Amino acid sequence: MMNCNQYSGAESRRDFLAKFSYGIGAMALGDLLSPRAEAAGLPGVPHFAPTAKRVIFLFQSGGPSHLDLLDYKPGLKEHFDKDLPDSVRQGQRITGMVTGQARLAIQPSRYRFSQCGASGRWMSELLPHTQKISDDICVIHSMNTEAINHDPAITFIQSGSQLPGRPSIGAWVDYGLGSQNENLPSFVVLNSVPSAGGGDQGLLARLWGSGFLPSKHQGVQLRGSGDPVLYLANPDGITPERRRALLDGLGALNRLQFEQAGDPEIETRIAQYEMAFRMQTSVPDLMDFKSETDATYELYGKAARQPGTFARNCLLARRLAERGVRFIQLYHRGWDHHDRLTKRIPVLAGDIDQASAALVTDLKQRGMLDDTLVVWGGEFGRTVYAQGSANHDNYGRDHHGRAFSIWMAGGGIKGGHTFGATDDFGFNVVENPVHIHDLQATILHCLGINHERLTYRFQGRQFRLTDVHGHVVKGLLA
Amino acid sequence: MRLQSPTLLLPIRHACRFTSLMLRILCFLLVPLTQRSFSADISFNRDIRPILSENCFYCHGQDPKHREAKLRLDLPEEAMRERDGVRAVLPGKPDESEMIVRLLSQDRDEVMPPPKANKHVTPEQIALLKRWIAEGAKYERHWAFIPPRRAALPEVTKAGWTRTELDRFILARLEHEGLTPAAEATPSAWLRRASFDLTGLAPGPAELDAFAADVAARGEVAYELAADRLLASPRFGERLAQDWLDAARYADTHGFNNDSGRSMWRWRDWVIDAFNSNLPYDQFLTEQFAGDLLPQPTVEQRIATGFGRNHVINSEGGIIEEEYRVEYVVDRMRTLGMSTLGLTLECCRCHDHKFDPITQRDYYQIFAFFNQVPELGEDGRVANASPLMDAPTREQQERFRQLDAATAVRTATLAKLLASDREKRGDAVVLATLKTHLAGSTASVPQGSRLLLGARATADGKTELVNLPDPKAKSLGAATVRASDDAVLGPVLSFDGTAGAVLSRDFGDLGKAWSLATWVRWSGGEAVLCSTMEMQMPASSGGYGRGIAVLLTAEGRVEVRHSMRWPAYAAQVFTSETVLPGRWQHIAVMCDGTRKASGIRVFIDGAECAKEVLHDGLTSVVTLSGKMRIGEEAAPEPHRLRGELAGFRLYPRVLEPALLRPWVETSLARVVTQGEGEKDRADWRRELLLRRTAVDYARLCEERDLLREERRLLASEVPTTMVMQELPAPRTTHLLKRGMYDAPGEVVQPGVPETLLGAWPKDAPRNRLGLARWLTQPEHPLTARVAVNRFWQQLYGVGIVKTSDDFGFQGEYPVHPELLDWLARGFIDSGWDVKALLRTLVLSATYRQDSTISPTLHERDPENRLLARGPRVRLPAEQIRDHALAVSGLLRQRLGGPSVFPTQPADLYKGIVVAAAYPGTTWTESTGDDLYRRSLYTFWKRTVPYPVLNVFDAPDREFCSVRRARTNTPLQALTMMNEPAMVEAGRQLGARMLMEGGTDDAARLAFGFRAATSRPPRPEELAVLRKMLERFRKDFTADDKGASALLKGTSQDAGQAAYAALGGLLLNLDETVTKN
Repeated sequence: MMNCNQYSGAESRRDFLAKFSYGIGAMALGDLLSPRAEAAGLPGVPHFAPTAKRVIFLFQSGGPSHLDLLDYKPGLKEHFDKDLPDSVRQGQRITGMVTGQARLAIQPSRYRFSQCGASGRWMSELLPHTQKISDDICVIHSMNTEAINHDPAITFIQSGSQLPGRPSIGAWVDYGLGSQNENLPSFVVLNSVPSAGGGDQGLLARLWGSGFLPSKHQGVQLRGSGDPVLYLANPDGITPERRRALLDGLGALNRLQFEQAGDPEIETRIAQYEMAFRMQTSVPDLMDFKSETDATYELYGKAARQPGTFARNCLLARRLAERGVRFIQLYHRGWDHHDRLTKRIPVLAGDIDQASAALVTDLKQRGMLDDTLVVWGGEFGRTVYAQGSANHDNYGRDHHGRAFSIWMAGGGIKGGHTFGATDDFGFNVVENPVHIHDLQATILHCLGINHERLTYRFQGRQFRLTDVHGHVVKGLLA
Repeated sequence: MRLQSPTLLLPIRHACRFTSLMLRILCFLLVPLTQRSFSADISFNRDIRPILSENCFYCHGQDPKHREAKLRLDLPEEAMRERDGVRAVLPGKPDESEMIVRLLSQDRDEVMPPPKANKHVTPEQIALLKRWIAEGAKYERHWAFIPPRRAALPEVTKAGWTRTELDRFILARLEHEGLTPAAEATPSAWLRRASFDLTGLAPGPAELDAFAADVAARGEVAYELAADRLLASPRFGERLAQDWLDAARYADTHGFNNDSGRSMWRWRDWVIDAFNSNLPYDQFLTEQFAGDLLPQPTVEQRIATGFGRNHVINSEGGIIEEEYRVEYVVDRMRTLGMSTLGLTLECCRCHDHKFDPITQRDYYQIFAFFNQVPELGEDGRVANASPLMDAPTREQQERFRQLDAATAVRTATLAKLLASDREKRGDAVVLATLKTHLAGSTASVPQGSRLLLGARATADGKTELVNLPDPKAKSLGAATVRASDDAVLGPVLSFDGTAGAVLSRDFGDLGKAWSLATWVRWSGGEAVLCSTMEMQMPASSGGYGRGIAVLLTAEGRVEVRHSMRWPAYAAQVFTSETVLPGRWQHIAVMCDGTRKASGIRVFIDGAECAKEVLHDGLTSVVTLSGKMRIGEEAAPEPHRLRGELAGFRLYPRVLEPALLRPWVETSLARVVTQGEGEKDRADWRRELLLRRTAVDYARLCEERDLLREERRLLASEVPTTMVMQELPAPRTTHLLKRGMYDAPGEVVQPGVPETLLGAWPKDAPRNRLGLARWLTQPEHPLTARVAVNRFWQQLYGVGIVKTSDDFGFQGEYPVHPELLDWLARGFIDSGWDVKALLRTLVLSATYRQDSTISPTLHERDPENRLLARGPRVRLPAEQIRDHALAVSGLLRQRLGGPSVFPTQPADLYKGIVVAAAYPGTTWTESTGDDLYRRSLYTFWKRTVPYPVLNVFDAPDREFCSVRRARTNTPLQALTMMNEPAMVEAGRQLGARMLMEGGTDDAARLAFGFRAATSRPPRPEELAVLRKMLERFRKDFTADDKGASALLKGTSQDAGQAAYAALGGLLLNLDETVTKN
């Protein structure tokens, strides 16, 4: 779970013993473990001065259509319902869902694109708010992945391997950098409920799992309903005062046992119970939105008033960022538009557009965008050919990993910049390809981590997030 | 000096330390024990190879594709060969050895390892290398690849301390290190430790008392008897299974995106049984790797092979089948490597191993053994993936045996009655009598059939199929069908096996629920009765194999296919009963409109058949509609029917079996009273007559029918389980370039690295069974070592080889190599006797030491590798929960069975799991006893693990794992304090203290304390508890509502509430969750 090293003081056992009193009631162990601003991760990490202290990853699960959102291809209109040329497909594999299809018919986007911001970047009418922050974000058109199905693709972008078993990127960051706030976990996960449907794919605990890293590096889910953190609330009949008294008694007994058994693990356990007690205060405080102004809600949109929405989670992400949480991972599901894309994508875009833009704006207003890296994107893009037949008003698109678009903002990334390009069909990358491993290397780089040096020995080998690949994409950096 | 010590970064040590940073730095400075020389001599295996492997072999090892400067340091002749006037290793002359020169070089372009490699050799290590070269640079074969031998027992000074021979090894090392063993633990402490290790549960107060008395009375014998009692407990199998379930990546869901449910608990039962019955470990492995290939395998031996199928299976639509089928084989390889060989085999999937002497070719040779399963890449969306089998429980198997025996008795008696009747009257008399009997009987065809196939003559003298109820219907086409006539059955259609009939027009849509009824006289051979499945398009196409088919197998079993996309998304069932060739028999198939295999029912001659489900993966209902072929199927090489059909009817509903049977029986009786075709018609008539006229005969028939019905119902409850199976014709295995499924290289034959790990056993078949024989042959260098090391790890928290999953070059050198070999050899020689091994271990003086940790000892040996004290480790996740339930009296003991669903937060799956109604995507909380079963029975959903177990480091079981981390986190504290079952356990423990603990507070508190920790509280501890109790009693006296809330409204008694609070506190003690 969390890196407990991060929460325990650097006092020696002797100091601790000296300070400790064995009485009941008067003891307030929390005071002894005075909070410290930062707790160390690995020695020597960060490897160099970071440009970002934290990351907010707005993950769009299912594979948003780059062709309908970010990658403008005006020339496609002329190719409507024509076969995808072999010279474009280049023999690349396609999913089992379209292998039986007689034709791969070109499907232009039905959405209007317009130019926005100082750079004159083209963006779809589906993202009116994102258009407004165009000068703050860097759009990458040349993302690419080997995976063509959800499970491997999402596992790949989140853990650097198409197959399960590797630590997630947030776990790597937690392992490397440790925490900036000893009262909250440093890797937090927020799952939002789409406003319509959207559960075609499951999310998997492994996406925020710790793989072979110690399980304390797992992401901690903050939940929209029930206890925000599992088992945070005391049971009925146990007030905070009673909890405090029970913890004092427990601490006293554990301490007596430590005197007998001498196991330092007992001291750690005492400290973890105290940390748990502090979380019982700090998490409800975090989840208490009373201090947020109407202006803020206006910025993020009405949905931000409703727990569990993507907009609410964007606002919560900002609150987490303010509290020094290192890696904030949001998920929004429902982008898998094999059919009825035109009915569904406006709903999805409506869920995320205003809130994503608001988060960037809000961070900027608070002077936090400079050291907060925001990433927006999914596991892959969608095909230029229609799944089913081409149709002006109602079409669908299959998975496409060879090229897709994401955007990044803040934390050392060049705002207003556009990076990489695809061919006229949005099918192949033709300029400055950015592979999943490159993206991961670059995110780590912004955090001051050399992706080749953040390693963990498992089964006789030094593993890292980017396996044996990945290059920092210098062209993205401010 | 760099602060880098890889072995100290391994997961087991991740329990965090209070004085974290300082202590960590200190640890980094210490040279790991296992790399410290025990003796003054340099050992290549212990001292040198780890340095070379870690720092040099990656570029100068066996992988030719990655070799720099064509230099190999893993082979002596290569390392010592002269090149460009220098030798990397020049024995006797370290300063002239290029290796040393490069290690010491200050030149960035010269120094080794190159700065970019991010590797650093310490001055101490360089000194060791120099000494090794100075002393002659002797290479040794890697220790783990030499078969284990028993060394002479080491000499020790304090021989009186030892209780078993193994203690000599431990003591010798301690004496060498100047350490003394700890005092013996108290009998109670030993019993607690041994009970946790052998049964997963702590001893109760009565057991503790009895054992203490027994020790006082009988001394050492009491320990032996206690160990025997624990080993004989059914709980033993549950405890031992827990670790093997991790290794075998057991789970109740398929994993991946859909993560739907599967049923493998019969395999889990097998594991528990295997440990309880002390199945020899070589047999344990053999049955799991190849139980199906043993001569006449039992049901249990086939169930055991589920070990090879516990891997994740992907049902995501649109995946490329072969990509995932290959992954499943890869997973079997990884599991073999980690669980049995202690090798990182998976490294060789893409290239030769960077460290160990295993090539990519070796890898694919072993791969070939596991590449022969008739499995699909995309499968398992709604149920078990094929191949699967019916896996009756032992009780069910016993009941089947009883039913079969009872049936056999009746069948034999009926045959006798028939024979004696034959002696009494002739066939003609029987026929005449039967006719008389039938004269008055009538029974009508069930009404409402949509279609009746018939035949009529066409103008050109041919016969065509017609839709009889609709006289205007056009010809149904098809043609080589001949018609004959039968007064009872109506027109008869004959099929000669060369052609069937295609209904040339759609017969409409029967909807979801339907029935099909037809008379058939089958001439043998695999046959299609009817099929709407289209199987002529490419198998990857969307609609491939959509439809419904009814077939006969070569044995005459009726097969029904209900398919969305063949074969992954289909229900496929076979009847256990068969039709006989040459007889008119009636077949009815009903489908209830669900997608479950259980919704398909088949009746032969009006009696319902038991079914075997081969596949149960239909994802949505396919209606019976569209084009139907009669007597053949639409496939490139179609099966056809040889035989006759009559009265072919379809119904848009499920028929009432009670109506079906009288009609079928009466019709049959009429059939047999006329016509001459059937050779056994005479006996058949006699059977029918006796059934109608002879009371005892009819009664026996009825009894037999009832037995058959019970058997069918029992069969419908039999769980299935996934198993290993061999393809009828072997699949060719290729080396896969870069490990890619679509980049096949050279063809390889099944085989093993014989030079490295031992010759293939003589006469062993080249299949999984041969592989299992090879793995378990007594001279195998790894299997026994890896096993005993894991049992050792189970007891002490860390193995003799800490890297229990890696015995290769990069693994840790054993801290007690001679002991490991002594145990391994002894294990093999004992006939792989697991219980005997564990008995020896828990009775040893080493194990019986007190676990108190002194600061000096902790500094010297923080992980207790030298064992100068007993083990003290936090309990594994399952035992933490089980112990809380047991102490509070909530635990319900029942051995084996399906997984259970204890309480978990109602919305845990919300927003995470796939939003389709696949099995395993909802958590329906268990009721009654199943809320409080042992944790190993908890439903294991891979992508959303059960939080109480997950938080205490239980793995998600996506892959094999043989070592768990032991972390210590605030989320664990929250779980222990607030999780509903834990809170309930605290409440119940409070109630037990009041009810069973005695008459005063001191006694009651001591009772609770002892239940949790297996020892009475010390006075100062009791004082703390009493103060706490008084505080809470006072507190709750002033707060009725609070007391009532804590007691869930059962009472508002302040005393009870105070005890409930104290019960919770006791469960949270460090000692409660610790094996010490």
